[in-house]
Amino acid sequence: MKTAIDGKVIASTFMILLILAFLVLNGMVSDWGRLTGGFSNLKNFFYQSLWPPDWSVLEPQVYPVCTARYPFEFTCSTAWIGVIETIKIAFVATVFGMALSLPLSLAAARNLSPGWLSFSSRFILSAFRSLPSLIWAIFFVILIGMGPLSGVLAMTVYTVGYLGKLWYEAMEGMNKTPLEAAQAMGLSKYETALNVVVPESANDLISHSIFLFEYNFRSGTIIGIVGAGGIGYYIDLYLRFLQYDKVVAYLLIIFLVVLIIDFISIYARSFFTEEDDLRAPSWFEVISGLWGAPSGAYSWTSLFRRR
Amino acid sequence: MRTGDDLIEPLLVLKDVAIGYDSSASLVNIPNLEILPGEIVAIAGPSGIGKSTLLRTIAGLVSPISGQLEVCGVTLPESPPRGVLGYIPQKLGLVRHASVRHNVELGARAGVKSRKERQQRSTEAIDIMGLSEKSTEPIRRLSGGQQRRVATARTLAQKPKLILADEFLSELDEETLTSVLQAVTNYVRGSKAALIVVEHDISRAKMMADKLLVIDDGRINPFVKGTKAMEVNV
Repeated sequence: MKTAIDGKVIASTFMILLILAFLVLNGMVSDWGRLTGGFSNLKNFFYQSLWPPDWSVLEPQVYPVCTARYPFEFTCSTAWIGVIETIKIAFVATVFGMALSLPLSLAAARNLSPGWLSFSSRFILSAFRSLPSLIWAIFFVILIGMGPLSGVLAMTVYTVGYLGKLWYEAMEGMNKTPLEAAQAMGLSKYETALNVVVPESANDLISHSIFLFEYNFRSGTIIGIVGAGGIGYYIDLYLRFLQYDKVVAYLLIIFLVVLIIDFISIYARSFFTEEDDLRAPSWFEVISGLWGAPSGAYSWTSLFRRR
Repeated sequence: MRTGDDLIEPLLVLKDVAIGYDSSASLVNIPNLEILPGEIVAIAGPSGIGKSTLLRTIAGLVSPISGQLEVCGVTLPESPPRGVLGYIPQKLGLVRHASVRHNVELGARAGVKSRKERQQRSTEAIDIMGLSEKSTEPIRRLSGGQQRRVATARTLAQKPKLILADEFLSELDEETLTSVLQAVTNYVRGSKAALIVVEHDISRAKMMADKLLVIDDGRINPFVKGTKAMEVNV
């Protein structure tokens, strides 16, 4: 950063933004009294319709006949089938998105590419990002019909737009001395990108990729609603029949998968942390640290303890 | 493309060069300077006077305000042939998340295309710098002194004709400093390359260099080793 800023400047700027946000909100809301009944409405809705979750979504479907044996009958349930299909869609879309984002983000980074290339790459990324994945899903459903392929294409396009932006910003934020050393030595742009830029910004690249996988998984629940496959199809089905307790069960399963993705993110990023004297945590430490082990031996902060 | 073997002497020529970031106020003015193969030249002077900027200008990272700058027979802004220029920045410019070997191989990659030779050069340079046991460690886990040795190994693996080093001996203990300096000096003398080093420690600069350039008040004052002028004025 070229200009030094202190805590007071940040705090006062944030306060001004907060006041501004309240003023804008006040201009949009005509009746604040509607807030008063909100909590009791939520309480009634929660206990009458949502809780307890209906875990029958984990039971095998009647048709097609389940061929799995005990204790794996749950693999024939709508929850399992939906989650696995959503994970598959999210995985494929994220990997394809990563493959397309890498050249585009390298081209878009202003510290690596000439202005004309950077501008045109950013233009493409902005175009991909300007429509939410739901709209892309509708577009592809119209184009090639319902099913997981529409979901994969929709998410891939959105992933490229989003991940490309996150990646080129990470690349632009990297320390410039390795780039200068490579330039002085005479390494080509391609060699510099592959051997300097990618490993140097690995922490951010991995973190953003896993975030996008998580985002794609969560989006999978939405785009399924328009017929692009995945767990969203079942959520939409039960919403139509007002079976909210089943919907809550699906949402809790989604939450669990998101948590697992978070564990993977913590573990993967630990190999690329900036600290000098850290070691990667074990899986046990990742999970127990997140939940807070009673002994305190593996607290959240101890994930990256000193060697 | 020209190769390192075709290059003619001198390795660096500066004619009426003014350097700096602001064209209206140059940091250093150099009327005439030539660096010959086998020479070790130290640049000294107070902080913020333009020593590192001079090195960055020679490396082609900053354009000179005026004048003619010729590196290994090529006049800037044209780039010198690949691999003839080795650069150790003050902040080293290492890829922190990559291993020692990866970083050293970057230098070798600039110097040679063959993968086998690249690996051989890297292994030799890592051995010379005493980093064999650390070759798979990521840079971020090394001490400041070890990182300086990696940056030096990267340059040795590259085998450039002109080495630009910005305070590459700081943070080294006396024993390591001696061995690192010995390795670099041997390379420079043996392969008829040249070393330009920015050094804030004036006694060390006098000890290692054939020629000492002291920057003072925007001008370069050259002193040659062993002359009375150097003993009296520096």
